[in-house]
Parts: sequence; structure tokens; C-alpha cells
Amino acid sequence: MYRKIAAAAMIAGGLLFVSASALAHHSVAANFDGSKAMDVTGKVKEVSIRNPHSQITLEVPSPQGGTKEFYVEWSDKNALMRRSVPVNKIKVGDQVTINVSPSKRLPNLGYFRTATLPDGTVIRDCGFAAFRQGIANGKSGCEENAK
Amino acid sequence: MKIAAIIAGLALLVPAAGKRADMDGVWILLGTNIEKPQLTPEGEKKRAAYDYQKDDPDFQCKPASVTRVMHTPSPPIEVRQHGDYVEVNYEFMDVRRRVPLKKGLAAKDAPYAAKKYPHLGKSVGQYDGETLVIETEGQKAGILDTLGSPGLYQSDQMRTVEKFIPDGNRMQVTVTHYDPVYFTQPFTVTYNYVKLPGGKIEKWDCKPEEATFERFAK
Repeated sequence: MYRKIAAAAMIAGGLLFVSASALAHHSVAANFDGSKAMDVTGKVKEVSIRNPHSQITLEVPSPQGGTKEFYVEWSDKNALMRRSVPVNKIKVGDQVTINVSPSKRLPNLGYFRTATLPDGTVIRDCGFAAFRQGIANGKSGCEENAK
Repeated sequence: MKIAAIIAGLALLVPAAGKRADMDGVWILLGTNIEKPQLTPEGEKKRAAYDYQKDDPDFQCKPASVTRVMHTPSPPIEVRQHGDYVEVNYEFMDVRRRVPLKKGLAAKDAPYAAKKYPHLGKSVGQYDGETLVIETEGQKAGILDTLGSPGLYQSDQMRTVEKFIPDGNRMQVTVTHYDPVYFTQPFTVTYNYVKLPGGKIEKWDCKPEEATFERFAK
């Protein structure tokens, strides 16, 4: 019995390792499918706005019962500040729906697109490409982020 | 008295000797052009063996090279010209370079440009018309790039020439790498920047435990 459990654990661990190893490097385009979007609804467990990538941890219902963690990767802290994204509106304990681009390899990971808060407020992030284009066009960046 | 005041006023409008006024400021990346690298067999071998999990210094929060620190698009760079030196500061990985502007000084005899990161080499700069040219030697052998063209290596024989070419609120930076160990031909990466009005270089404050994707594999 113990051997079977140990073998299963080794296989699961191996699959997890392979999944993580398969990530070529840490660029967003290499690791997330920007052509797809999916909603993830759950309770905010942690909001960590930091460099080089921010992370939101959600507790989402598990098909097996209970909850499991889903990780939302996001831009670096400095870029989010420059783009005036109101990240402080996403609060620990709130039930939110985050729309993400799914990871190409890990099932419990996605890249931030929008977040819908309990009061219906939608947090948007125009992203770096739109920000720099705004600067190049003589604007201040992403005005809509601050709304 | 009045004449002296006028002269003093005019002096404020004229940049310091050699200084290019529109180069000072904070710049954000618009786009990058990476040449196809022509590698020696040793360079090809190293690239084939590159394993980002073991080899990528980003995950230890270490800037691999001056080329690499410009590849991450969102953190800006800053140029500040002074009388006899120029500061080039990079938000990514908190790299701060101080490059002496001294004709006749060889890069190999110059001080390390980034005190915190001596592996980024010894640099010296000078102006060629409107262009700031920085030559660097004494870079430590290791990874050259992990993002734009992952798995490129550099030897301690590598010499780089950076050219900062301002054009109003745009600036082009070319970095040409001359490395007889890993490249058969000079390898150039071009970065195009736009000035970020009111921009400021913030602290990056990278922590290794927060930098890797392995944190998701739990």
C-alpha cells in the first residue's frame, strides 16, 4: 500500500516537475496563451504586488471538494503603479472573478486580464504595450486604468 | 553687471561640454531588434545545453549582462550626463552604472561601471557628434541573454560597444558584442526608446524566492 502511495506521489511530483521545467523562460508570451481567456472565481487569499511579477492567490472550489489554490500572475509592481492600476481595490477575503489568459502548461495558473470585485467594479489593466504606445503618442499612458 | 547676468543666464541654457541635452531623462522601451547571432561551435554547444532553471541568473535576481537588463520591456532606463561622467541607470535589477568620459582611457583600464555588479565590466564613454559611445571590457564569462535570445553566452574576452543616439523624444541604443569565443561575427541588439515625461527610476528590489515560476509548483 505504502509503495503504491509512494509511487503515485513520485509520478505526480515528476509530472509537476516536468510541467515547471517545460517553461522555457519567464516571458509572459512564452508561458501564457494570450489568445484565450477564462474566468476564475474564488476568494482572494493573498495579493502580492511586487517585482518582477505580481501574484494574486485565489482559493477556488475543487471538483474533489474543498478548495484549491489558483495563481494569477501579473505585471511588475512598478509598471502597475505607472499605469495607475488601482490594485489596492483587490482585497484579501473578497469573492472576486478574475479573467485570465491560461498558462500554457500549468492548470492552476493564469495571467491577469480583468478582475470583477464584489460591488461590480471591474479592474482593468491596459498592459505595457498600450501604455508605451500611449506615451509614444504624447498621452500619459493608460487613462482608463485609473477609472 | 547686466552683461554678466546675461552671460550667466545664457550659460544655463548651454549644455556642459560634450553633453547632449536631449539625452538626459528616463526612457521606456518601444521595441527591440535582435540580429540573428552567428555562433562558434562552442557558442552553439553552450546554447543547446542552456537550462533556464539552472542557468538563468534572473532567478537569483542577478543582472546577466547590460544587454539583458534592457530586454525586460516595462522597467525604464535613465541617462544623466555630467561634466566628466555619465550615469546610465536601469530599473531592472537596480543596476546603476557610472561611466567616465575620458578620451584616451582604455576600457580595460577604466573602473568597474556598476559597483554593485562588477561582472558587468569596465566602461568608458565619449561623444561622437550627437552619439554617446560606451565601450566595455572586463565582463565576466557567463550568460549574455536569457530573454530576447535565451541561451547566448559571453566569454571574458567579450568587448561591447553601446551607442546612444538621441533624436528628440526618441533614442536608439545599439549594443554590439565582439566575442571571439562564442560569436563568429559581431552581434548587435537595437533598442528603441521613447522619453517618459516626468519618469523616475524606482527600486526593483527583486527577491529570488519571488522571481521563479517554481513557486507555482507546490
